[in-house]
Amino acid sequence: MSDNRLIETEGLHKVYRTGTVETPALRGVDLELHSGEFTAIAGPSGSGKSTLLHLLGGLDRPTSGETFLEGRAMSKLSKDELAKLRLTRIGFVFQAYNLIPVLTVLENTAFVLELQGVVRAERIERARKILAELGIEQYADRYPNRISGGEQQRVAVARAVVAGPSIVLADEPTANLDSGTSLELIDLMRRLNSEKGATFLFATHDSRLLDRVSRLITLEDGRITSDETR
Amino acid sequence: MKAAIRHLKRNRGRSILTLLAVLIPVYSLVVMFGLAGGNLRDMFDTATRLDTGHLQIRHAERRGMGSALPLIKDPDEIISTLDRIEGIAWRTLRLDLPAIASVGERSQAIVVQGVVPEEIDPISSMRGLILAGRYLTSKDEGVVIGEELAKLLKIDVGDEMVILGVHPETGVGALKVPILGIYSTPAAAMGRTIIQAPLDVARRLAHSIAGATAVVVRVAGVTGPWDARRIDRVVAELRAILPSDYEVLDWRRLAPQVASYMAIIKPALFIFAAVFFGLGALVVLNTVYLSVIERTRELGLIISLGASQWRVIRMILLEAGILSATGAVYGALAGVSLVWIVEAFGGLPLPAAFSSMMKAIGMNPVLHLRVSFSQVALSAAAMAGVAVIAAWYPARRASRLEPVEAMRYVG
Repeated sequence: MSDNRLIETEGLHKVYRTGTVETPALRGVDLELHSGEFTAIAGPSGSGKSTLLHLLGGLDRPTSGETFLEGRAMSKLSKDELAKLRLTRIGFVFQAYNLIPVLTVLENTAFVLELQGVVRAERIERARKILAELGIEQYADRYPNRISGGEQQRVAVARAVVAGPSIVLADEPTANLDSGTSLELIDLMRRLNSEKGATFLFATHDSRLLDRVSRLITLEDGRITSDETR
Repeated sequence: MKAAIRHLKRNRGRSILTLLAVLIPVYSLVVMFGLAGGNLRDMFDTATRLDTGHLQIRHAERRGMGSALPLIKDPDEIISTLDRIEGIAWRTLRLDLPAIASVGERSQAIVVQGVVPEEIDPISSMRGLILAGRYLTSKDEGVVIGEELAKLLKIDVGDEMVILGVHPETGVGALKVPILGIYSTPAAAMGRTIIQAPLDVARRLAHSIAGATAVVVRVAGVTGPWDARRIDRVVAELRAILPSDYEVLDWRRLAPQVASYMAIIKPALFIFAAVFFGLGALVVLNTVYLSVIERTRELGLIISLGASQWRVIRMILLEAGILSATGAVYGALAGVSLVWIVEAFGGLPLPAAFSSMMKAIGMNPVLHLRVSFSQVALSAAAMAGVAVIAAWYPARRASRLEPVEAMRYVG
C-alpha cells in the first residue's frame, strides 16, 4: 500500500430494496484511490457509477463491505460523524440543483467554510480568491438563477475546492452543459488538479471528460470490469 | 440569519400565514386579557367604591343580630389605631341599619348607610352618581336614594319619606326625611335598597349617639384585585393589633362576587390561551412542515455538503423563530393598540339589551379593557415559544433526511 492512498473499498455491495424487490447496484467493488489522481468511473446507465460515488462520499451506506477514507472505516461513523467527514475531507459537484438558491455566488462558495465555522472575514476572502482563480469573480453578488448553467457548475467546483478537501467527487458534472461549456469546465478541473494537486473522481459517461482523465475505471452491472491508468 | 430572512421572503405567502398563526392568537389573548382585566377592575371598583371599601372593621358579636350589624360603641378608638399604621389611604365610619322606607302606602325594605359625607369621596363614588338634586353634607337632615327606589316609591327630590329603622341592640327608631338627591348606579339592586344619610341622622335612627357598625378602609396603591397583597398585608396587621372583639373583613368576604369571578376567570383564560396556542401551533407546524417538504432537495444538498443534524434543525428553527417573534410582537402591538384606542374613547358601550342586563347584575354597561405589561409579554413570549416548539418536529424530520434520497426528491 502506497503512502498516498486516499480511499480504499473492500467488497462493497449495495442492494436497493423496494418492497420485496431487490435491485443490486454494486456487487463487490474493491478499489483504491490515491491523492492527486484525476479519475473517472465510466459505464453505461445503471452500472452503479453514482451509487459508488455516493458510498465513497459517505452520502449513503453500503449493504455490505467497507469504505476507508484516509484509513477511517466509514461504516462505523455516526450520521453526524459522516457529515463532519464530508464537510472537512470531501468536496461535491452534482449534476443539477447544485447551489442554494437564496445565497449569492459568493455565499454559496463560502457556505462550506461557514459550516466549518470559519470566521466571516476569512471565508469571504477565501471564497473571493477561489472565484477569482476560476474566473467567475464578477458573478460574486449574483444569485444562481441569474447566471448560466456552466457558470453555476463553476461555482459548484469553487465551493467543492474552497475548503481544500482531500478529494472532490463529481457526479455527471457536465451532463447538463453544452459542448463548449463542458470543455471549459473540464479544463478548469484539470488545472486545479495539476496546479493545486486537487484529487478528482468523476462518475460520467461524457467522452470529452473520459478523454482527459489520468485513470479510468469501468463499471458494468455493479462490478469493475477494467481499471486503466494513462 | 440573512439566508433565513431570504428564505422567508422567497415563500412570502407561507411566511405570512405562519406569521398570522402567531399574530392572531397573541392579539386575541391580549384583547381577552384586556376584557377580563377591565371587567374585573369594574367589578372590583363597583363593589369596593360604592359599598364595601377594601376592608371593614366590625364588631365580632353576631348573636341575635339577624340581618343587622352589631354596633361599635367607640369607633374613634379604631380610627386612631388605623391612623398609626402604614398603607391606609382613607378610612371613615359607617352605620348600616336595616330599615323600611315608606311613602304613603308604598314601602320598601332598605338599608340606611350613615356616612360622613365629607370623608366619603375616596371610598365611595356616590357623589359622582347623583342624577338629580345634590349629595349630602354632615349638616343635612335628608337622604339620597337610588333612582330605582325613587321609581318604586314614586318620589322625587324635595319629597319626604318615612324611615323606620330597627336595631336589635337599641330598638326601633323612626324619622321623616327629605330626599336631597337621587343617584344612579350600574348595580340596580343597590339603587333599590341602599340609601345614604349623614352619620348623625343614622345614629339618631339607631338611638346610638357615637356608634357605627363599620370602619370602612381603603388601602393605598390598590387599583384592582391584582393588588390584593397590599390589602392582605394591612388586614394581617390589623388582625394582630385589634382586640378580639373586632373582626377585619377583606374584600373577598365583603364582595364575594368579585372573588368568585376571579376564581372562574383564571382557569377560563388558561383554557382559552391553551386553545389559541394549540391552534397557532398546528398552523405553524403545518406551514413549516410544508416548507421542509418543498425544500427537500435543497436540504439534501446542505446535508450532503456536511451540515450536521443540529445545524439543519437550527436553520429551520431560526426561520420559525424569526416569524414567531415578529408575529408575537405585531400581535402584542395590535392588541395593546386596540386596548389603548378603546380606553381613549372611554370604553366600549354595550347595546341597550346587554346594558340593562349588566346593570341588573351590578356590572358597568360600558366595557373597559385593561391589560398589564406582564400579560402582554407573557402572551407574546409563550406563543412565540409554542410556535418554535411546534416547528421542532418538521425541523427534526428535515435533519434526518437521507441526502441521496432528498436530492432526488421531485416535489
